[in-house]
Amino acid sequence: MSDTRIIDVGEGAAIPSKSDWGLFNAWTISIIGALAAILYLVIAQPNPYQRLLVYLADGVVITFQVTVMSILCACVIGLITGLGRVSRNKAINLLASTYVEIIRGIPLLVQLFYIYYALGRFLNVHDLTAAIIAMSVCYGAYMGEVFRAGITAIDKGQTEAARSLGFNTKQTMFLVILPQAWRTILPPVGNEFIALLKDTSLVSILAVSDLLRRGREFSSETFLYFETYTMVALIYLVITLILSKGVSIMEARLSHYVRR
Amino acid sequence: MSAASAPIVDIRHVSKSFGSLKALNNVSMSMSLGEKVVIIGPSGSGKSTLLRSINKLETVDSGTIIVDGFDINAPTTNINSLRMELGMVFQSFNLFPHKTVLENLTLAPIKLKGMSKAEADEIALKLLDKVGIKEKAHAYPAQLSGGQQQRVAIARALAMSPKIMLFDEPTSALDPEMIGEVLDVMVTLAKEGMTMAVVTHEMGFAREVADRVVFMDHGAIIEEGTPEHFFVNPEHDRTKLFLSQIL
Ligand SMILES: Nc1ncnc2c1ncn2[C@@H]1O[C@H](COP(=O)(O)OP(=O)(O)OP(=O)(O)O)[C@@H](O)[C@H]1O
Ligand SMILES: [Mg+2]
Repeated sequence: MSDTRIIDVGEGAAIPSKSDWGLFNAWTISIIGALAAILYLVIAQPNPYQRLLVYLADGVVITFQVTVMSILCACVIGLITGLGRVSRNKAINLLASTYVEIIRGIPLLVQLFYIYYALGRFLNVHDLTAAIIAMSVCYGAYMGEVFRAGITAIDKGQTEAARSLGFNTKQTMFLVILPQAWRTILPPVGNEFIALLKDTSLVSILAVSDLLRRGREFSSETFLYFETYTMVALIYLVITLILSKGVSIMEARLSHYVRR
Repeated sequence: MSAASAPIVDIRHVSKSFGSLKALNNVSMSMSLGEKVVIIGPSGSGKSTLLRSINKLETVDSGTIIVDGFDINAPTTNINSLRMELGMVFQSFNLFPHKTVLENLTLAPIKLKGMSKAEADEIALKLLDKVGIKEKAHAYPAQLSGGQQQRVAIARALAMSPKIMLFDEPTSALDPEMIGEVLDVMVTLAKEGMTMAVVTHEMGFAREVADRVVFMDHGAIIEEGTPEHFFVNPEHDRTKLFLSQIL
Protein backbone atom coordinates (compact mmCIF):
# COMPACT_ATOMS: atom_id res chain seq x y z
CA MET A 1 0.00 0.00 0.00
CA SER A 2 1.18 3.46 -0.75
CA ASP A 3 1.70 5.93 2.01
CA THR A 4 -0.67 8.56 0.76
CA ARG A 5 -4.15 7.14 0.82
CA ILE A 6 -6.66 8.32 -1.71
CA ILE A 7 -9.24 10.49 -0.08
CA ASP A 8 -12.59 9.14 -1.13
CA VAL A 9 -15.45 11.39 -0.21
CA GLY A 10 -18.00 9.35 -2.12
CA GLU A 11 -19.60 6.36 -0.47
CA GLY A 12 -16.39 6.06 1.44
CA ALA A 13 -15.04 2.54 1.90
CA ALA A 14 -11.64 4.05 2.43
CA ILE A 15 -11.79 6.59 5.17
CA PRO A 16 -9.27 9.34 4.61
CA SER A 17 -6.71 9.05 7.32
CA LYS A 18 -2.96 9.11 7.62
CA SER A 19 -2.61 6.24 10.03
CA ASP A 20 -5.32 3.63 9.92
CA TRP A 21 -4.85 2.48 13.46
CA GLY A 22 -4.33 5.82 15.16
CA LEU A 23 -6.96 6.80 17.70
CA PHE A 24 -7.91 10.13 16.19
CA ASN A 25 -9.10 9.32 12.75
CA ALA A 26 -12.56 9.89 11.36
CA TRP A 27 -13.54 6.27 11.66
CA THR A 28 -12.57 5.84 15.29
CA ILE A 29 -14.16 9.10 16.31
CA SER A 30 -17.37 8.22 14.51
CA ILE A 31 -17.70 4.71 15.85
CA ILE A 32 -16.80 5.62 19.42
CA GLY A 33 -19.10 8.63 19.24
CA ALA A 34 -22.00 6.59 17.89
CA LEU A 35 -21.58 3.77 20.39
CA ALA A 36 -21.17 6.20 23.26
CA ALA A 37 -24.29 8.07 22.23
CA ILE A 38 -26.32 4.87 22.09
CA LEU A 39 -24.98 3.75 25.45
CA TYR A 40 -25.58 7.15 27.04
CA LEU A 41 -29.17 7.37 25.80
CA VAL A 42 -30.02 3.84 26.92
CA ILE A 43 -28.57 4.39 30.39
CA ALA A 44 -29.61 7.98 30.95
CA GLN A 45 -33.12 7.58 29.57
CA PRO A 46 -34.07 3.90 29.71
CA ASN A 47 -37.54 4.98 28.83
CA PRO A 48 -38.01 5.15 25.88
CA TYR A 49 -34.52 4.27 24.57
CA GLN A 50 -34.20 0.84 26.13
CA ARG A 51 -37.64 -0.11 24.89
CA LEU A 52 -36.80 1.36 21.52
CA LEU A 53 -33.57 -0.56 21.22
CA VAL A 54 -35.28 -3.85 21.99
CA TYR A 55 -38.01 -3.00 19.51
CA LEU A 56 -35.53 -2.16 16.77
CA ALA A 57 -33.39 -5.26 17.32
CA ASP A 58 -35.59 -7.40 15.04
CA GLY A 59 -35.26 -4.76 12.36
CA VAL A 60 -31.47 -4.79 12.65
CA VAL A 61 -31.49 -8.53 12.04
CA ILE A 62 -33.65 -8.12 8.94
CA THR A 63 -31.53 -5.26 7.60
CA PHE A 64 -28.48 -7.40 8.16
CA GLN A 65 -30.05 -10.35 6.39
CA VAL A 66 -31.12 -8.30 3.40
CA THR A 67 -27.68 -6.69 3.18
CA VAL A 68 -25.63 -9.86 3.41
CA MET A 69 -27.83 -11.90 1.10
CA SER A 70 -28.08 -9.08 -1.43
CA ILE A 71 -24.33 -8.52 -1.38
CA LEU A 72 -23.66 -12.19 -2.04
CA CYS A 73 -26.24 -12.43 -4.84
CA ALA A 74 -25.22 -9.09 -6.34
CA CYS A 75 -21.59 -10.22 -6.43
CA VAL A 76 -22.50 -13.38 -8.29
CA ILE A 77 -24.76 -11.48 -10.70
CA GLY A 78 -22.10 -8.77 -11.01
CA LEU A 79 -19.37 -11.26 -11.86
CA ILE A 80 -21.53 -12.96 -14.48
CA THR A 81 -22.57 -9.60 -15.91
CA GLY A 82 -19.00 -8.31 -15.92
CA LEU A 83 -17.80 -11.43 -17.72
CA GLY A 84 -20.68 -11.04 -20.15
CA ARG A 85 -19.71 -7.44 -20.81
CA VAL A 86 -16.17 -8.41 -21.77
CA SER A 87 -17.24 -11.53 -23.67
CA ARG A 88 -16.48 -11.71 -27.36
CA ASN A 89 -19.71 -13.63 -27.84
CA LYS A 90 -22.00 -10.97 -29.33
CA ALA A 91 -25.24 -12.41 -27.94
CA ILE A 92 -23.93 -12.70 -24.39
CA ASN A 93 -22.35 -9.27 -24.62
CA LEU A 94 -25.58 -7.70 -25.83
CA LEU A 95 -27.61 -9.44 -23.15
CA ALA A 96 -25.33 -8.21 -20.36
CA SER A 97 -25.16 -4.67 -21.75
CA THR A 98 -28.92 -4.45 -22.12
CA TYR A 99 -29.43 -5.62 -18.55
CA VAL A 100 -27.06 -2.96 -17.26
CA GLU A 101 -28.63 -0.29 -19.46
CA ILE A 102 -32.16 -1.07 -18.28
CA ILE A 103 -31.28 -1.24 -14.61
CA ARG A 104 -29.31 1.99 -14.75
CA GLY A 105 -32.24 3.74 -16.38
CA ILE A 106 -34.76 3.05 -13.63
CA PRO A 107 -34.64 4.51 -10.11
CA LEU A 108 -33.91 1.90 -7.47
CA LEU A 109 -37.14 2.58 -5.63
CA VAL A 110 -39.19 2.03 -8.77
CA GLN A 111 -37.27 -1.18 -9.46
CA LEU A 112 -37.91 -2.35 -5.94
CA PHE A 113 -41.64 -1.80 -6.27
CA TYR A 114 -41.68 -3.35 -9.68
CA ILE A 115 -39.70 -6.49 -8.96
CA TYR A 116 -41.32 -6.89 -5.59
CA TYR A 117 -44.87 -6.72 -6.88
CA ALA A 118 -44.09 -8.61 -10.07
CA LEU A 119 -42.52 -11.43 -8.09
CA GLY A 120 -45.31 -11.32 -5.52
CA ARG A 121 -47.98 -11.40 -8.18
CA PHE A 122 -46.66 -14.00 -10.58
CA LEU A 123 -44.44 -16.17 -8.46
CA ASN A 124 -45.85 -15.70 -5.00
CA VAL A 125 -42.41 -15.16 -3.53
CA HIS A 126 -41.96 -14.43 0.15
CA ASP A 127 -41.62 -10.71 1.02
CA LEU A 128 -38.09 -10.88 2.32
CA THR A 129 -36.92 -12.99 -0.61
CA ALA A 130 -38.51 -10.60 -3.08
CA ALA A 131 -36.76 -7.66 -1.46
CA ILE A 132 -33.42 -9.47 -1.61
CA ILE A 133 -33.92 -10.39 -5.25
CA ALA A 134 -34.85 -6.82 -6.12
CA MET A 135 -31.78 -5.41 -4.38
CA SER A 136 -29.54 -8.03 -5.98
CA VAL A 137 -30.83 -7.49 -9.49
CA CYS A 138 -30.27 -3.77 -9.16
CA TYR A 139 -26.86 -3.87 -7.51
CA GLY A 140 -25.78 -6.78 -9.72
CA ALA A 141 -25.86 -4.40 -12.66
CA TYR A 142 -23.74 -1.78 -10.91
CA MET A 143 -21.29 -4.39 -9.72
CA GLY A 144 -21.18 -5.80 -13.22
CA GLU A 145 -19.79 -2.47 -14.35
CA VAL A 146 -17.24 -2.52 -11.55
CA PHE A 147 -16.15 -6.03 -12.50
CA ARG A 148 -15.95 -5.08 -16.16
CA ALA A 149 -13.79 -2.07 -15.37
CA GLY A 150 -11.56 -4.20 -13.14
CA ILE A 151 -11.12 -6.85 -15.80
CA THR A 152 -10.40 -4.42 -18.62
CA ALA A 153 -7.89 -2.56 -16.44
CA ILE A 154 -5.58 -5.58 -16.47
CA ASP A 155 -2.81 -5.20 -19.02
CA LYS A 156 -3.45 -6.94 -22.35
CA GLY A 157 -0.02 -8.53 -22.04
CA GLN A 158 -1.31 -10.72 -19.21
CA THR A 159 -3.90 -12.29 -21.46
CA GLU A 160 -1.37 -12.70 -24.23
CA ALA A 161 1.15 -14.35 -21.93
CA ALA A 162 -1.46 -16.76 -20.62
CA ARG A 163 -2.84 -17.58 -24.06
CA SER A 164 0.65 -18.08 -25.47
CA LEU A 165 1.31 -20.70 -22.78
CA GLY A 166 -1.75 -22.60 -23.99
CA PHE A 167 -4.45 -21.50 -21.55
CA ASN A 168 -7.91 -21.14 -23.05
CA THR A 169 -10.06 -18.04 -22.52
CA LYS A 170 -11.74 -19.39 -19.42
CA GLN A 171 -8.51 -20.51 -17.74
CA THR A 172 -6.93 -17.18 -18.61
CA MET A 173 -9.81 -15.35 -16.97
CA PHE A 174 -9.94 -17.39 -13.79
CA LEU A 175 -6.24 -18.15 -13.26
CA VAL A 176 -4.66 -14.94 -14.45
CA ILE A 177 -7.03 -12.02 -14.93
CA LEU A 178 -9.56 -12.24 -12.09
CA PRO A 179 -7.01 -12.93 -9.33
CA GLN A 180 -5.36 -9.66 -10.32
CA ALA A 181 -8.55 -7.76 -11.00
CA TRP A 182 -9.67 -8.28 -7.40
CA ARG A 183 -7.24 -5.68 -6.30
CA THR A 184 -8.71 -2.93 -8.44
CA ILE A 185 -12.24 -4.21 -8.05
CA LEU A 186 -12.36 -4.38 -4.27
CA PRO A 187 -12.39 -0.67 -3.35
CA PRO A 188 -15.29 0.23 -5.66
CA VAL A 189 -17.07 -3.01 -4.73
CA GLY A 190 -16.66 -2.04 -1.08
CA ASN A 191 -18.31 1.26 -1.90
CA GLU A 192 -21.16 -0.62 -3.53
CA PHE A 193 -21.53 -2.77 -0.41
CA ILE A 194 -21.92 0.30 1.75
CA ALA A 195 -24.29 1.98 -0.68
CA LEU A 196 -26.30 -1.23 -0.78
CA LEU A 197 -26.47 -1.41 2.99
CA LYS A 198 -27.87 2.10 3.15
CA ASP A 199 -30.24 1.48 0.28
CA THR A 200 -31.76 -1.49 2.07
CA SER A 201 -33.64 1.15 4.04
CA LEU A 202 -35.76 1.51 0.90
CA VAL A 203 -37.20 -1.96 1.40
CA SER A 204 -39.00 -0.58 4.43
CA ILE A 205 -41.50 0.79 1.93
CA LEU A 206 -42.34 -2.78 1.04
CA ALA A 207 -43.74 -5.09 3.68
CA VAL A 208 -40.29 -5.92 5.04
CA SER A 209 -39.71 -5.14 8.69
CA ASP A 210 -36.20 -3.85 8.44
CA LEU A 211 -34.60 -1.36 10.81
CA LEU A 212 -36.23 1.69 9.28
CA ARG A 213 -39.67 0.14 9.10
CA ARG A 214 -39.48 -0.99 12.72
CA GLY A 215 -38.61 2.58 13.58
CA ARG A 216 -41.61 3.90 11.68
CA GLU A 217 -43.87 1.42 13.41
CA PHE A 218 -42.53 2.37 16.82
CA SER A 219 -42.83 6.08 16.24
CA SER A 220 -46.34 5.92 14.85
CA GLU A 221 -47.42 4.07 17.96
CA THR A 222 -45.61 6.27 20.46
CA PHE A 223 -45.30 9.56 18.56
CA LEU A 224 -41.66 9.66 19.70
CA TYR A 225 -40.39 10.62 16.26
CA PHE A 226 -37.24 12.43 17.31
CA GLU A 227 -36.11 9.74 19.75
CA THR A 228 -36.83 6.94 17.31
CA TYR A 229 -34.98 8.40 14.34
CA THR A 230 -32.05 9.41 16.51
CA MET A 231 -31.63 5.79 17.47
CA VAL A 232 -32.27 4.50 13.93
CA ALA A 233 -29.64 6.86 12.51
CA LEU A 234 -27.10 5.87 15.16
CA ILE A 235 -27.62 2.18 14.49
CA TYR A 236 -27.25 2.62 10.72
CA LEU A 237 -24.10 4.58 11.33
CA VAL A 238 -22.59 1.85 13.51
CA ILE A 239 -23.38 -0.89 10.99
CA THR A 240 -22.03 1.15 8.08
CA LEU A 241 -18.83 1.96 9.94
CA ILE A 242 -18.25 -1.67 10.81
CA LEU A 243 -18.81 -2.72 7.20
CA SER A 244 -16.50 -0.05 5.85
CA LYS A 245 -13.78 -1.14 8.29
CA GLY A 246 -14.24 -4.72 7.15
CA VAL A 247 -13.80 -3.61 3.55
CA SER A 248 -10.60 -1.66 4.30
CA ILE A 249 -9.12 -4.62 6.14
CA MET A 250 -9.94 -6.89 3.22
CA GLU A 251 -8.34 -4.40 0.84
CA ALA A 252 -5.17 -4.28 2.88
CA ARG A 253 -4.99 -8.08 2.97
CA LEU A 254 -5.48 -8.42 -0.77
CA SER A 255 -3.05 -5.75 -1.78
CA HIS A 256 -0.01 -7.35 -0.18
CA TYR A 257 1.46 -9.05 -3.21
CA VAL A 258 2.10 -6.30 -5.70
CA ARG A 259 4.61 -3.64 -4.83
CA ARG A 260 5.05 -1.87 -8.08
CA MET B 1 17.63 -33.90 -34.51
CA SER B 2 16.15 -34.45 -37.96
CA ALA B 3 17.55 -32.75 -41.01
CA ALA B 4 16.12 -29.59 -42.46
CA SER B 5 13.62 -31.50 -44.57
CA ALA B 6 10.05 -30.66 -43.54
CA PRO B 7 9.83 -27.13 -42.13
CA ILE B 8 8.50 -26.91 -38.58
CA VAL B 9 7.10 -23.45 -39.32
CA ASP B 10 5.82 -22.74 -42.80
CA ILE B 11 4.31 -19.34 -43.51
CA ARG B 12 2.81 -19.04 -46.99
CA HIS B 13 1.52 -15.88 -48.64
CA VAL B 14 0.28 -14.36 -45.42
CA SER B 15 -1.40 -10.96 -45.36
CA LYS B 16 -2.85 -9.02 -42.49
CA SER B 17 -4.40 -5.56 -42.33
CA PHE B 18 -5.29 -3.32 -39.45
CA GLY B 19 -8.01 -1.19 -40.97
CA SER B 20 -6.51 0.24 -44.12
CA LEU B 21 -2.97 -0.44 -42.99
CA LYS B 22 -1.30 -3.51 -44.45
CA ALA B 23 0.83 -4.85 -41.60
CA LEU B 24 1.77 -7.99 -43.54
CA ASN B 25 1.76 -8.06 -47.29
CA ASN B 26 2.05 -11.52 -48.86
CA VAL B 27 4.78 -12.79 -46.57
CA SER B 28 6.26 -16.25 -46.95
CA MET B 29 8.89 -17.70 -44.67
CA SER B 30 9.75 -21.08 -43.30
CA MET B 31 11.89 -22.45 -40.51
CA SER B 32 13.36 -25.88 -40.11
CA LEU B 33 13.87 -27.67 -36.83
CA GLY B 34 16.76 -26.22 -34.86
CA GLU B 35 17.04 -23.16 -37.05
CA LYS B 36 17.52 -19.70 -35.58
CA VAL B 37 15.94 -16.89 -37.53
CA VAL B 38 16.47 -13.28 -36.57
CA ILE B 39 13.93 -10.80 -37.90
CA ILE B 40 15.01 -7.19 -38.23
CA GLY B 41 13.47 -4.09 -39.71
CA PRO B 42 12.33 -0.56 -38.93
CA SER B 43 9.54 0.22 -36.48
CA GLY B 44 6.11 -0.60 -37.83
CA SER B 45 7.46 -2.92 -40.52
CA GLY B 46 5.36 -5.86 -39.31
CA LYS B 47 7.94 -7.89 -37.35
CA SER B 48 5.77 -8.34 -34.29
CA THR B 49 2.70 -9.03 -36.36
CA LEU B 50 4.54 -11.77 -38.24
CA LEU B 51 5.89 -13.34 -35.05
CA ARG B 52 2.55 -13.11 -33.27
CA SER B 53 0.71 -14.67 -36.15
CA ILE B 54 2.82 -17.82 -35.74
CA ASN B 55 1.06 -18.58 -32.45
CA LYS B 56 -2.16 -16.91 -33.56
CA LEU B 57 -2.03 -13.99 -31.17
CA GLU B 58 -2.82 -12.22 -34.43
CA THR B 59 -5.13 -13.92 -36.88
CA VAL B 60 -4.06 -13.41 -40.47
CA ASP B 61 -6.51 -12.34 -43.18
CA SER B 62 -5.19 -14.66 -45.86
CA GLY B 63 -2.50 -17.23 -46.47
CA THR B 64 -1.63 -20.28 -44.42
CA ILE B 65 0.63 -20.91 -41.46
CA ILE B 66 1.67 -24.49 -40.75
CA VAL B 67 3.29 -25.21 -37.39
CA ASP B 68 4.59 -28.69 -36.67
CA GLY B 69 2.34 -30.06 -39.40
CA PHE B 70 -0.83 -28.28 -38.26
CA ASP B 71 -2.53 -25.46 -40.12
CA ILE B 72 -3.03 -23.07 -37.20
CA ASN B 73 -6.10 -21.50 -38.75
CA ALA B 74 -7.84 -24.76 -39.58
CA PRO B 75 -11.00 -25.24 -37.55
CA THR B 76 -9.86 -28.74 -36.60
CA THR B 77 -6.63 -27.49 -35.05
CA ASN B 78 -6.65 -27.09 -31.28
CA ILE B 79 -4.75 -23.85 -31.01
CA ASN B 80 -4.35 -24.16 -27.25
CA SER B 81 -2.45 -27.43 -27.44
CA LEU B 82 -0.43 -26.14 -30.39
CA ARG B 83 0.55 -23.05 -28.38
CA MET B 84 2.07 -25.32 -25.75
CA GLU B 85 4.74 -26.12 -28.34
CA LEU B 86 5.39 -22.45 -29.00
CA GLY B 87 7.06 -20.56 -26.20
CA MET B 88 6.77 -16.80 -26.42
CA VAL B 89 8.80 -14.06 -24.78
CA PHE B 90 7.49 -10.50 -24.86
CA GLN B 91 9.19 -7.16 -24.78
CA SER B 92 7.31 -6.27 -21.59
CA PHE B 93 7.95 -9.63 -19.83
CA ASN B 94 4.29 -10.07 -18.87
CA LEU B 95 4.99 -12.15 -15.80
CA PHE B 96 1.98 -12.87 -13.60
CA PRO B 97 2.38 -10.35 -10.77
CA HIS B 98 0.13 -12.24 -8.36
CA LYS B 99 2.27 -15.38 -8.55
CA THR B 100 5.76 -16.00 -7.22
CA VAL B 101 8.55 -16.63 -9.70
CA LEU B 102 8.25 -20.37 -9.09
CA GLU B 103 4.47 -20.29 -9.53
CA ASN B 104 4.89 -18.34 -12.76
CA LEU B 105 6.86 -21.31 -14.07
CA THR B 106 4.68 -24.10 -12.67
CA LEU B 107 1.20 -22.72 -13.37
CA ALA B 108 0.96 -23.88 -16.97
CA PRO B 109 2.66 -27.31 -16.56
CA ILE B 110 0.38 -28.13 -13.60
CA LYS B 111 -2.86 -26.87 -15.12
CA LEU B 112 -2.25 -27.77 -18.73
CA LYS B 113 -0.08 -30.86 -18.61
CA GLY B 114 -1.49 -32.25 -15.38
CA MET B 115 1.98 -32.36 -13.89
CA SER B 116 2.25 -32.90 -10.14
CA LYS B 117 3.35 -29.89 -8.12
CA ALA B 118 6.51 -31.69 -7.00
CA GLU B 119 7.52 -32.55 -10.53
CA ALA B 120 6.69 -29.08 -11.84
CA ASP B 121 8.67 -27.49 -9.00
CA GLU B 122 11.67 -29.65 -9.75
CA ILE B 123 11.65 -28.76 -13.43
CA ALA B 124 11.05 -25.09 -12.63
CA LEU B 125 13.95 -24.92 -10.20
CA LYS B 126 16.26 -26.49 -12.77
CA LEU B 127 15.20 -23.90 -15.32
CA LEU B 128 15.62 -21.06 -12.83
CA ASP B 129 19.07 -22.36 -12.11
CA LYS B 130 19.77 -22.40 -15.81
CA VAL B 131 18.77 -18.77 -16.24
CA GLY B 132 20.76 -17.94 -13.10
CA ILE B 133 17.98 -16.81 -10.82
CA LYS B 134 17.20 -19.78 -8.61
CA GLU B 135 17.56 -17.76 -5.42
CA LYS B 136 14.56 -15.63 -6.43
CA ALA B 137 12.19 -18.58 -6.76
CA HIS B 138 9.93 -17.33 -3.99
CA ALA B 139 10.07 -13.65 -4.83
CA TYR B 140 7.29 -11.84 -6.66
CA PRO B 141 7.98 -10.41 -10.12
CA ALA B 142 7.69 -6.83 -8.86
CA GLN B 143 10.70 -7.46 -6.63
CA LEU B 144 12.96 -8.32 -9.57
CA SER B 145 14.94 -6.14 -11.96
CA GLY B 146 13.92 -6.02 -15.61
CA GLY B 147 16.69 -8.36 -16.67
CA GLN B 148 15.75 -10.83 -13.97
CA GLN B 149 12.09 -10.65 -14.95
CA GLN B 150 12.90 -11.34 -18.57
CA ARG B 151 15.02 -14.34 -17.63
CA VAL B 152 12.09 -15.65 -15.57
CA ALA B 153 9.82 -15.08 -18.56
CA ILE B 154 12.14 -17.17 -20.74
CA ALA B 155 12.20 -19.89 -18.09
CA ARG B 156 8.40 -19.76 -17.85
CA ALA B 157 8.10 -20.40 -21.58
CA LEU B 158 10.69 -23.19 -21.40
CA ALA B 159 8.80 -24.89 -18.57
CA MET B 160 6.27 -26.09 -21.13
CA SER B 161 9.12 -27.76 -23.10
CA PRO B 162 8.24 -25.98 -26.33
CA LYS B 163 9.63 -27.02 -29.69
CA ILE B 164 9.96 -23.45 -30.85
CA MET B 165 10.68 -20.21 -29.01
CA LEU B 166 9.43 -16.86 -30.26
CA PHE B 167 11.08 -13.69 -28.94
CA ASP B 168 9.62 -10.26 -29.63
CA GLU B 169 12.29 -7.67 -28.85
CA PRO B 170 13.16 -9.35 -25.55
CA THR B 171 15.78 -6.78 -24.60
CA SER B 172 14.18 -3.56 -25.86
CA ALA B 173 12.59 -2.66 -22.53
CA LEU B 174 15.76 -3.28 -20.54
CA ASP B 175 18.35 -0.93 -19.14
CA PRO B 176 21.56 -1.33 -21.15
CA GLU B 177 23.42 -3.06 -18.32
CA MET B 178 20.82 -5.82 -18.21
CA ILE B 179 20.71 -6.66 -21.89
CA GLY B 180 23.75 -8.91 -21.68
CA GLU B 181 22.36 -11.27 -19.06
CA VAL B 182 19.25 -11.91 -21.15
CA LEU B 183 21.16 -12.34 -24.39
CA ASP B 184 23.47 -14.82 -22.65
CA VAL B 185 20.51 -16.99 -21.76
CA MET B 186 19.28 -16.81 -25.35
CA VAL B 187 22.68 -17.72 -26.75
CA THR B 188 22.85 -20.74 -24.45
CA LEU B 189 19.42 -21.78 -25.59
CA ALA B 190 20.45 -21.43 -29.21
CA LYS B 191 23.54 -23.53 -28.65
CA GLU B 192 21.38 -26.27 -27.16
CA GLY B 193 19.61 -26.52 -30.49
CA MET B 194 16.36 -24.72 -29.77
CA THR B 195 14.39 -23.56 -32.79
CA MET B 196 14.13 -19.80 -32.39
CA ALA B 197 12.51 -16.86 -34.12
CA VAL B 198 13.83 -13.62 -32.67
CA VAL B 199 12.80 -10.07 -33.41
CA THR B 200 15.62 -7.87 -32.17
CA HIS B 201 17.76 -4.85 -32.78
CA GLU B 202 20.77 -6.58 -31.21
CA MET B 203 22.94 -7.06 -34.25
CA GLY B 204 25.70 -8.71 -32.22
CA PHE B 205 23.25 -11.42 -31.25
CA ALA B 206 22.12 -11.79 -34.87
CA ARG B 207 25.70 -12.21 -36.01
CA GLU B 208 26.57 -14.73 -33.35
CA VAL B 209 23.46 -16.87 -33.33
CA ALA B 210 21.39 -16.48 -36.47
CA ASP B 211 21.35 -19.12 -39.18
CA ARG B 212 19.34 -16.68 -41.20
CA VAL B 213 18.49 -13.01 -40.96
CA VAL B 214 15.22 -11.71 -42.36
CA PHE B 215 14.81 -8.03 -43.13
CA MET B 216 11.28 -6.64 -43.24
CA ASP B 217 9.93 -3.31 -44.35
CA HIS B 218 6.37 -2.11 -44.92
CA GLY B 219 4.91 -5.52 -44.12
CA ALA B 220 7.05 -7.44 -46.58
CA ILE B 221 10.25 -9.47 -46.42
CA ILE B 222 12.74 -7.46 -48.45
CA GLU B 223 15.76 -9.66 -48.10
CA GLU B 224 16.94 -12.72 -46.24
CA GLY B 225 20.22 -14.52 -45.93
CA THR B 226 23.05 -15.56 -43.66
CA PRO B 227 24.46 -13.01 -41.22
CA GLU B 228 27.62 -12.88 -43.38
CA HIS B 229 25.58 -11.96 -46.41
CA PHE B 230 23.70 -9.34 -44.45
CA PHE B 231 26.46 -7.57 -42.67
CA VAL B 232 29.04 -7.80 -45.42
CA ASN B 233 27.20 -7.23 -48.66
CA PRO B 234 23.46 -6.66 -48.40
CA GLU B 235 21.75 -6.38 -51.78
CA HIS B 236 18.89 -3.98 -51.35
CA ASP B 237 19.22 -0.29 -50.78
CA ARG B 238 16.60 -0.31 -48.07
CA THR B 239 18.52 -2.99 -46.20
CA LYS B 240 21.74 -1.00 -46.54
CA LEU B 241 20.01 2.12 -45.30
CA PHE B 242 18.52 0.33 -42.33
CA LEU B 243 21.80 -1.32 -41.40
CA SER B 244 23.70 1.92 -41.71
CA GLN B 245 21.27 3.53 -39.29
CA ILE B 246 21.36 0.75 -36.74
CA LEU B 247 25.00 -0.35 -36.77
N1 LIG C 1 -3.58 -4.12 -32.89
C1 LIG C 1 -3.27 -3.23 -33.86
N2 LIG C 1 -4.18 -2.37 -34.29
C2 LIG C 1 -3.90 -1.47 -35.26
N3 LIG C 1 -2.70 -1.38 -35.86
C3 LIG C 1 -1.74 -2.22 -35.47
C4 LIG C 1 -1.97 -3.19 -34.44
N4 LIG C 1 -0.83 -3.88 -34.27
C5 LIG C 1 0.05 -3.38 -35.13
N5 LIG C 1 -0.47 -2.38 -35.86
C6 LIG C 1 0.20 -1.63 -36.92
O1 LIG C 1 0.71 -2.55 -37.83
C7 LIG C 1 2.00 -2.15 -38.28
C8 LIG C 1 3.00 -3.24 -38.00
O2 LIG C 1 3.11 -3.35 -36.59
P1 LIG C 1 4.16 -4.29 -35.89
O3 LIG C 1 3.90 -4.18 -34.43
O4 LIG C 1 4.10 -5.63 -36.47
O5 LIG C 1 5.52 -3.60 -36.25
P2 LIG C 1 6.97 -3.90 -35.71
O6 LIG C 1 7.81 -4.16 -36.90
O7 LIG C 1 6.92 -4.93 -34.67
O8 LIG C 1 7.38 -2.51 -35.09
P3 LIG C 1 8.18 -2.17 -33.75
O9 LIG C 1 9.64 -2.28 -34.09
O10 LIG C 1 7.79 -0.76 -33.47
O11 LIG C 1 7.74 -3.14 -32.71
C9 LIG C 1 2.32 -0.86 -37.55
O12 LIG C 1 2.05 0.22 -38.42
C10 LIG C 1 1.37 -0.84 -36.39
O13 LIG C 1 1.01 0.46 -36.05
MG1 LIG D 1 7.18 -4.96 -32.56
